[in-house]
Amino acid sequence: MRNGKAGLLRSTPAWLAALVLLLAALALSLLVAVTIGSTDIPISDVYHVIFYKLFGSGDPAWGEGNLFRAVWYLRLPRLILAAGIGVSLSTCGVVMQAIVKNPLADPYILGISSGASLGATLAVLMGVGAVFGGNSIGIMAFLGAFGVSLLVVGLANVGSRANSVKLLLAGMAVSSVCSAFSNFIVYIAHDREGMQTVTYWMMGSLAGATWERDAAVLLVAVLGAGFFWTQYRNLNLMLLGDENAITLGTDLHRWRQLYLLVSAAMVGFAVYSAGMIGFVGLVVPHVVRMIFGTDHKKLIPLCALAGAVFLVWADVACRVLIKGTELPIGILTSMIGAPCFIYLMARKKYGFGGGD
Amino acid sequence: MKIEAKAVEALLSGNHILKGIDLDIGDRELVGVIGPNGSGKSTLLKCIYRVLKPTGGAVYLDGRPLDSYPYRESALRVAVVAQHNYYNFDFSVRDVVLMGRAPHKRALERDNAEDFRIVAESLETVGMTAFADRSFSTLSGGEQQRVILARALAQRTPCLILDEPTNHLDIKYQLQLMDLVRGLDRTVIAAVHDLNIAAMYCDRLYAVKDGRIVGQGAPEKLLTPDFIREVYEVDAQVMTDGDSALHILFHPGKGRKENAV
Repeated sequence: MRNGKAGLLRSTPAWLAALVLLLAALALSLLVAVTIGSTDIPISDVYHVIFYKLFGSGDPAWGEGNLFRAVWYLRLPRLILAAGIGVSLSTCGVVMQAIVKNPLADPYILGISSGASLGATLAVLMGVGAVFGGNSIGIMAFLGAFGVSLLVVGLANVGSRANSVKLLLAGMAVSSVCSAFSNFIVYIAHDREGMQTVTYWMMGSLAGATWERDAAVLLVAVLGAGFFWTQYRNLNLMLLGDENAITLGTDLHRWRQLYLLVSAAMVGFAVYSAGMIGFVGLVVPHVVRMIFGTDHKKLIPLCALAGAVFLVWADVACRVLIKGTELPIGILTSMIGAPCFIYLMARKKYGFGGGD
Repeated sequence: MKIEAKAVEALLSGNHILKGIDLDIGDRELVGVIGPNGSGKSTLLKCIYRVLKPTGGAVYLDGRPLDSYPYRESALRVAVVAQHNYYNFDFSVRDVVLMGRAPHKRALERDNAEDFRIVAESLETVGMTAFADRSFSTLSGGEQQRVILARALAQRTPCLILDEPTNHLDIKYQLQLMDLVRGLDRTVIAAVHDLNIAAMYCDRLYAVKDGRIVGQGAPEKLLTPDFIREVYEVDAQVMTDGDSALHILFHPGKGRKENAV
């Protein structure tokens, strides 16, 4: 980049090749990751189970017993969930960075995840939103996420147009408010089980994965990422600013609200099924931008896949790093992501992947 | 493409910036808008390219009120090269010019060979072909301005608005850019700071002061020493050389002379 090229590899074939490569890497990651876990299961056994389940081939004995349950109901759904959430969080990271025109934006930093947490806490401990029935927790998480995203952008626009400092401050302020209320509810609820549920939310964990949950999260993630891929032109225009966008034929105001709504749905579902997993939306887009430039036509699909691969391996790391226990994934991603965030902030001038 | 403004007024944070402006710009005319800093030139142009909404009066494109056009439709008719184009991101020059094709695209339409051909052609016109793969943010101010002009050209609009386009260009590129614009055969409205450049290139000038049009006409008729003194509060001498080109010479202010004595 320093020689003035926009990204190391910017020609069309290179990014398409990278896309195919990442898709292959994701498939391979899933295949490898499924063999790694806290209990030692021979690799061949793992595949026997999967092959039996998928293609009905082999001994029916592979379709029952503890081994089967460990592979088919614990490991695999969990990895698929990791991939789905990785897609959602990194795609939303890219989109939020475009919406606020700042590469430091991220669902976690902008307080959207804590909004989702507050919504979920209200649902779990106070029974708020019971009218939504069985999905009330997910719907409340979504409402919390969306409410907070509007509040943060609104607050940052008070007085003068939003800039990076105002957005970060607004995000932190709203985030603190949400955490405070979540904690308040947890404290007065005196509900041991509920408290545990909430704690698990705050630290993030993929342990609650089930195939039903996977289906919902994956659907929202893939539809959302696909939707944003079709919006690449508007996302590019967002970086030029509203005035430029108007002269190029697009009034971004309504689009911004729509994108926030879709992002909130994606983040809401992710938070609902795995709690707060921070900084994925910050780190993944940053790395992809450094290599491929800022064009959202490339950025959206590449980030979606890279995010999936990243979270699959982060989950593996959580399971094997400390023998005998499992690290909550939100702790790990924050330990990786927060220093990256500090590094980005400390740099004198930070553009969208270049220009300094 | 004809552009008219009728009694356009604009309020910016309580200040009356435009106090009833009438413009009438004909097809393929190159019109300059001149006036001192803070006269309202830029505000006027912003009302024409829809970044500002007039608080009174209206702008008409081919006789139809600007408000009645969807943004996409107005962007198919008017392209803009604006004053500040400092971007802090890593788009390639080609990506930036490609954005000029945005108004031609439906929601899910992909960029096609035709778009890339138009982008290449626009870059060729502004002499930036060799920079197509460079990162926009690494270019100099002048180079960036030419890329933005290429983006406006890629819009393929019958009208082009230049909002002080030559601001941070050195003289070579100022002349180059204006030569280029004159050769385009489109309706052009340009806010111009430099009266010599305005006189050299524009078919007609509108002079704005304190939010009002204080004069309009062909440069050689409008730009008399008296008029320049009235609008800019400086003494000037206007000369015509053999090619009947206009040259405006400015005299040092009186204040400075008195101080020197």
